[in-house]
Amino acid sequence: MLLDFDRLGAWRWGLIGVGTVVMLFLLLPIVFIAALSFGDSQWLVFPPPGWTLQWYQQLLTDPVWIDSLLTSAKVAVIVTVLSVALGLLASLGLARSTFFGKSALQAFFLTPMVLPVVVLAVALYAFFLKLGLTGTLTGFVIGHLIIALPFSIITIGNSLQSFDPALEDAAMICGAGPIEVKWRVTLPAIRLGLFAAAVFSFLISWDEVVLSIFMASPTLQTLPVLIWSTLRQDLTPVIAAASTLLVALTIVLMLLVSLLKRGTRS
Amino acid sequence: MSTALSSAAVPVRRRFKIGAESRGVKLLLPALLLLGGFFLIPVLTLLLRSVMEPAPGLQNYVELLGSQTYVRVFFNTFMVAGVVTLITLLIGFPTAWLLAVLPKRWSQLMFAVLLLSMWTNLLARTYAWMVLLQQTGLINRVLMAIGVIDEPLALVNNLVGVTIGMTYIMLPFLVMPLHATLRAIDPSTLRAAAICGASRWQALRLVLLPLALPGIASGALMVFVMSLGYYVTPALLGGTNYMMLAELIAQLVQSLLNWGLAGAAAFVLLVVTLGLYAVQLRYLGGGRTGFGGR
Repeated sequence: MLLDFDRLGAWRWGLIGVGTVVMLFLLLPIVFIAALSFGDSQWLVFPPPGWTLQWYQQLLTDPVWIDSLLTSAKVAVIVTVLSVALGLLASLGLARSTFFGKSALQAFFLTPMVLPVVVLAVALYAFFLKLGLTGTLTGFVIGHLIIALPFSIITIGNSLQSFDPALEDAAMICGAGPIEVKWRVTLPAIRLGLFAAAVFSFLISWDEVVLSIFMASPTLQTLPVLIWSTLRQDLTPVIAAASTLLVALTIVLMLLVSLLKRGTRS
Repeated sequence: MSTALSSAAVPVRRRFKIGAESRGVKLLLPALLLLGGFFLIPVLTLLLRSVMEPAPGLQNYVELLGSQTYVRVFFNTFMVAGVVTLITLLIGFPTAWLLAVLPKRWSQLMFAVLLLSMWTNLLARTYAWMVLLQQTGLINRVLMAIGVIDEPLALVNNLVGVTIGMTYIMLPFLVMPLHATLRAIDPSTLRAAAICGASRWQALRLVLLPLALPGIASGALMVFVMSLGYYVTPALLGGTNYMMLAELIAQLVQSLLNWGLAGAAAFVLLVVTLGLYAVQLRYLGGGRTGFGGR
């Protein structure tokens, strides 16, 4: 009865009430920001007195914003490639072998996900100061890679688990070499997992703030770092425009993933 | 035919497995080197500095736990994390429940909203709340217009703002796993309770809540631990007067260059986080979602 929608009785309306309020609570700030980014009020009055595209214009003509956007994209793409490659190797290694301390190693691979990012950020900052890697692209990539890798290993590991290794045996019996087996049997079978790992890794790198704040220099910063340092000074509507573009990107990526999922189900 | 196939398959499989085993370990090397060199060593070095700088000994820990200012930070951190967990549970449980019973078309829509909120850039969401909650912001203006208050409430640069912002961010992290727990409960247990004459309240208290308890506990623990380590949202919505632990660590490094004390604070945060994570793994069967606060 309590888990049957039609027999919840009056409770149904209670649940729907709470659910609706929660959905509005989750959705409204995002809609609100998108609306403000088109409003012409410098002080973010809502509803705005008029509509304009000037914040987008400011955003997309300012070389500082463009530079940070390009840096973010560059870092995210490199991190995505490396994270999927290392994640694939590691999860193949974990899935097909047994050795002493395997579960401890598995837990170690996932710790960057559990650790508060600020601890890792401060620790890496000290380390990179010594190596001279702060304010470099390499510094950003290594930092982001460390927190993206666990998601990659989990996602690819999950799809390897539902893949029957007997298919590899079959390919070997048919005369394929070990590399050919991986390339033509294993990889195509887990391609959804690889794709999901790529999307996760990209989004993690693209959205990463805490590590990036510590890695950044005045000449090299990612988009979130620029948003962060601007926000600490004032609440300019340019941020609303930048945020709206980020939300749009999220929606596009989510649609892509769901389309792909639907495509494989049918 | 099947015997012929299986007898042929055994040696191949064995050959393959032996090959895979030695190769398997080699495949782990790149990830191992990366995490060893750029994760394990830096973090251990940081923790080591807490007992080595400025002089060997525990004075950093004495200072951290003895000073009024730092104890205040710990209090703020645990209180905000506790309150956020409580509010998230109170509104998250009915939401997860609704999600579990709604017809598919509607639950998919709710899922889309949850995912959108979860994957939208953290700074974008925090910015939205900074604008909404400011003195002249929408929330204050609406409350004044309908006559609830006469003067604008101070909703940002204090712990109220942090709590609202953090609740907003944590909600999907509780609702998603809790929904999975509720989905896994067999509805016939509740039908049985009804047949045995249980009222709705009795069924909720004696059947649904106990069955959902592992999911509730594990979700609450995750929200609590994530809240403890959050940096961005508390720093932006809490202002400088209301500091939380993650912000303290960053401040100690960035403005005060006090690496020893920062290491000690990081150690405390680490012990609490990993300790509660171990509890989660041991007693609640572990979650798949990340713990680490942003």
